[in-house]
Amino acid sequence: MKTSFLNLKMNNPLVLASGILGLTASSMKRVVENGCGAVTTKSFNLEARKGHPNPSIVPFDHGLLNAVGLSNPGAEEAVKEISRFKEISDVPIFASVFGRTIEEYGKVAEIALKAKPHLIEVNVSCPNVRSEFGTPFGDVPEDTAEITRLVKQVAGDIPVSIKLGPHGPGIARMAKVCEENGADAITAINTAGPGMLIDINVQKPVLSNKTGGVSGPAILPIAVKSVYEVYKNVSIPIIGTGGVTYWQDAVQMILAGATLISLGTAVYYEGIEVFNKINGGLRDYMNQFGYTSIADFRGGAH
Amino acid sequence: MHTFPVKKIIEHGPGVKSFYFEQSFEAQPGQFVNLWIPGVDEKPFSVSAIKDGLIEISVKQYGSFTQKLMQARAGDLLGLRGPFGNGFTLRENALLIGGGIGIAPLRLLAAELHQNNKRFVSLFGAATKYELIFKADFKEISNCYFYTDDGSFGRKGLVTEDLLNIIRDEKIEFIYAAGPEIMFVKLKEIIDPLDIPYEFCMERYMKCGIGICGQCVLDGSGVRLCVEGPVLNQDDLKGVTELGMVHRDASGRRIK
Repeated sequence: MKTSFLNLKMNNPLVLASGILGLTASSMKRVVENGCGAVTTKSFNLEARKGHPNPSIVPFDHGLLNAVGLSNPGAEEAVKEISRFKEISDVPIFASVFGRTIEEYGKVAEIALKAKPHLIEVNVSCPNVRSEFGTPFGDVPEDTAEITRLVKQVAGDIPVSIKLGPHGPGIARMAKVCEENGADAITAINTAGPGMLIDINVQKPVLSNKTGGVSGPAILPIAVKSVYEVYKNVSIPIIGTGGVTYWQDAVQMILAGATLISLGTAVYYEGIEVFNKINGGLRDYMNQFGYTSIADFRGGAH
Repeated sequence: MHTFPVKKIIEHGPGVKSFYFEQSFEAQPGQFVNLWIPGVDEKPFSVSAIKDGLIEISVKQYGSFTQKLMQARAGDLLGLRGPFGNGFTLRENALLIGGGIGIAPLRLLAAELHQNNKRFVSLFGAATKYELIFKADFKEISNCYFYTDDGSFGRKGLVTEDLLNIIRDEKIEFIYAAGPEIMFVKLKEIIDPLDIPYEFCMERYMKCGIGICGQCVLDGSGVRLCVEGPVLNQDDLKGVTELGMVHRDASGRRIK
């Protein structure tokens, strides 16, 4: 189960996805105790943000609809938590950053780097702040290129992964733009949609933001297809995320080309123990097929 | 999300009300529900009673959300989802300690204890008389001690004032508490040395209620209050480093 990813050695390929239990060191440590190989912080920017009022996360039959609205305590607070986490855990920690403007991405990355995270994940694809920020930067090739260059410039030796959504001008093309501008990895995908759920009695949208990103089992096929296309188009490694709930889903992601697999909504369906469950399933699958490492079947569906 | 019309509202006093909804689920004492005011916000509240096919939520006006809630009328549609979290366990010879609106979750607990023929004693404190809600209900099924800050009902003072004597005289073997966090800090100081097991029903700012957003995770322990709580026992609390110190606001920033 040992996995090499860029310059990192990990115990297993599972990562805690951004936005899930990633606010504090104590919270992320708890997830590590349940078997994940690396953690990602909740996305943060320069100033504290309260995000959208509740309801901001609502379950439906096939997943979750969320519009948390990038709430975060601000970069200075967030890096303190990264430092605290590094004191109490040995597993790699990825800092997820975003900016309201292109320039802010560089500034936030600079602050994040003070805590020396093992990777900077650049969130250019949050679908829930459109009313405030306009079109996500991740939908515009020129913006994504500029953000990638800017963050990589300040990050130096620390690897940078760009988190893309399934929308915009095509995720394979966007991944290529990131690679050409210095990205070390691609995280695919952010939540899909945006979507909407309406309360039929009140006859109004349930989310306070009206629309929100869709996660969970509903988006697994979109995520698998996105990883498959990105893998075909770039040579940098992929953190596959989106709808992975069971070990079979993780196997699909690896066959599509993912090096690491991030889990988020799965914690809702399968509990915080989901990391150990999926690792166990992956191990059995590898034994059954006689694989000695995950690299033996990565991209096998191509 | 499921929405229900408010069936009935009872006003206990200025800014203290109970809201009744048709019972659409079972809930254990201490578990909570998320109450949604469409177009406003959604907040967690404990269930204060399940009786005659109705679920009761008792609320004290505190911030802008509860202020809006106070304006609700019978027939208004409100969202109710849950129940969430882990509730109280049922014990013998227990002392129920409630501070302010913390009485609410203890009312459902008292009903369950009574139904299961388990003896208990009630010890409640509040700022003033009308905030000591459900006095008559508790008196009917338990020996009661009441305190108010202004002396308008019961003895003047805090619930911790005569606690050691009450525990001794009433032969208390287990303690339940719900109320402001400073009360938990004081209680811990008094009862930890006695080795009496206890359960506290706690509160934090919450977003998802389903254990994924991380907003209510307690420092030091990594306990998710919405899933592993809101009722925590003496062992759960051992690792917690933030009791009575900091809470996180909507942004996740620590505030006093």
